Amino acid sequence: MNSSTSSSSDAPAGGIRPGNYYGNGIPYLPLDGYPGKIIAIEGTDGVGRSTQISLLREWLEVQGYGVIETGWTRSELMQPTIELAKASNTLNKLTFVLLYATDFADRLEKEVIPALKAGFIVLSDRYIFTALARAGVRGVDRTWMRNLYGFAIAPHLVFYLKTDEKTLIRRVLQARGMEYWESGMDMKLGDDIYESFRAYQRSLLREYASMADEFGFRVLDARRKIDVIQEELRRQIGAFLAETDTTAVRSEEPALTNP
Amino acid sequence: MFVTEWNSSALVKAATKTGKKKNSLTPMTFSLLHATDFADRLLYNIIPPLKAGMIVLADRYAYTAFARDFARGVDRRWVRELYSFAVKPDMAVYFRVPIEVSTDRLMARRVKLKFYEAGLDMGWSSNAIESFRIFQGKVLDEYDRLVEEFGLSVVNAVGSITEQQRLFRRLVSQHLQIEETNEQLDEQLV
Repeated sequence: MNSSTSSSSDAPAGGIRPGNYYGNGIPYLPLDGYPGKIIAIEGTDGVGRSTQISLLREWLEVQGYGVIETGWTRSELMQPTIELAKASNTLNKLTFVLLYATDFADRLEKEVIPALKAGFIVLSDRYIFTALARAGVRGVDRTWMRNLYGFAIAPHLVFYLKTDEKTLIRRVLQARGMEYWESGMDMKLGDDIYESFRAYQRSLLREYASMADEFGFRVLDARRKIDVIQEELRRQIGAFLAETDTTAVRSEEPALTNP
Repeated sequence: MFVTEWNSSALVKAATKTGKKKNSLTPMTFSLLHATDFADRLLYNIIPPLKAGMIVLADRYAYTAFARDFARGVDRRWVRELYSFAVKPDMAVYFRVPIEVSTDRLMARRVKLKFYEAGLDMGWSSNAIESFRIFQGKVLDEYDRLVEEFGLSVVNAVGSITEQQRLFRRLVSQHLQIEETNEQLDEQLV
């Protein structure tokens, strides 16, 4: 291993086995030591997750790894419904949580598990932690949420791109301005969208921080330059892949298509 | 009095429709979509009338999910925990029929069984009727377990509507501690 890093721990916390279900899982889809790996990049808005992922993808593919990307609310089944529900005002915290979980399940079964089976590296733009953080802020029962996502597979690596409230606000405003849901306006913290946004994002940061040990996040400071963060990601992922038996993962030639 | 039906919320209609049309629902997404539908109806259609002191008649409840989802291979305990946000009904009645009756009635109802209704998504049989029989057999077995686990009241649904309704009313009357109204029922059903 290389010199010390800012990762909170090298192995995820007690009981969690990377590549296996968190809970009882999906009985009809046993995971029989599939060769693929899941690498999740977590973090609030404006921390540069997608930029980092596209750079990682390129780097991994050049080395001959098959890579697929999966991202929050991107499932074919649920995307239109989630968009529609967000645009209307009938969504409440419970249905919000369940729609996300359905989207996650659809992508897990249709994209992630087949990719793991085929030995791909799955780069996940956000993972269940986004759902847990958003639900936590909204007061949804923590134990219930963890049971709900008991069908999710524990990633091999979880990187948490951590930022602070001030930086986050500036980045979001600069990028695209504030939006109803990511300002937590549904929580009716106040009429002032800026104040609501601040309070909401502050709570989210607190939620993420509280999960770092529980789920073994490798915490990276997202306020640094893109290439500095990328270098750190590559170093840690490279070390992980070198440690693991990757003969099944790496193909002869770079993969051109998804499984 | 307020009536609410399984899988009727507008929220998940589009996704369910897309999934069913493309036969792309998995047992997990099928389960989660129904839970979403239930959550939506619980908050808009079930809890408010209860708060107003009304009686809510629910045509199917979480037990339907417990039976069907388990029959599709979803983890039994997970589904129960999933629905732990549901209000426990004051009374739950299970209309029980043997598999043959269930199949016959369905056949009489219409020509073609729907894909998910017949459990064709499970790949147990490519023949819809055969598939339905296997699927429904598993569902009915699980209901028997639910009767024990949750203390459901059982109405033998093989008998005539009048007989079933009479028993149903007796059960409800006992529960609500109101007088039975069999005379009125006989008039209605004659």
